[in-house]
Amino acid sequence: MIEIFTLAFLMLISVTSVIAAFKAIIEKDMVRAIVYSAIQSAMYALIFYVLMAPDIVLVYIPVSVGITPAILLFVTKKTERRDGD
Amino acid sequence: MELPTLVASVIVVSLYVNLGIALYGIFARPSLVKKLLAITILSDTANAFAVLVGYRWPRTGTPQPPVLMNTTNYNESIKYYIEHAVDPLPQALVLTAIVIGLAVTLFIAFVIIQYYRLYGTVNVRKTATSSR
Repeated sequence: MIEIFTLAFLMLISVTSVIAAFKAIIEKDMVRAIVYSAIQSAMYALIFYVLMAPDIVLVYIPVSVGITPAILLFVTKKTERRDGD
Repeated sequence: MELPTLVASVIVVSLYVNLGIALYGIFARPSLVKKLLAITILSDTANAFAVLVGYRWPRTGTPQPPVLMNTTNYNESIKYYIEHAVDPLPQALVLTAIVIGLAVTLFIAFVIIQYYRLYGTVNVRKTATSSR
């Protein structure tokens, strides 16, 4: 018997990652966009965990939820906060 | 359609949609910081695709991570590992690609900061119409 809860959980986090990526691209305020991007990266970490890659999860969570948004926030602080016209 | 096939299709479709969203962000958004954010989403999606290619469902039981846990009963544990573990090669490649992607992101971030010091904006449309 297949674990239906695991499969439903995987489907849920896939849809959440799509919504978070869309909001991250559409959002005009860069700080909110970076937070949405961090949410999308956390969903990808859960996808990696369900796809039986725990060593990738151990590297991916500090790098892509911690360091990359920190770099982008630093660049946003040094440059402009608004995206677009 | 069986349930694992359906869920796998949903994951693949969501990854393709994320790929399209990231390409739209790279091509159509004017801010360079937003383009960098879209590049990170694109690389993450490519890594997720690579891990998904290495995933496989065994004939009996559930899949396990590619880690050999028990070494006392050698033949049976090797047989169990070969029958149940997912492919470890894409995981090793993705582990390298994540760290290289972090270094490339840091490099592009400092290039964007120098661009802002030179032009006074990170909006590529304003840069195209400026006098400098």
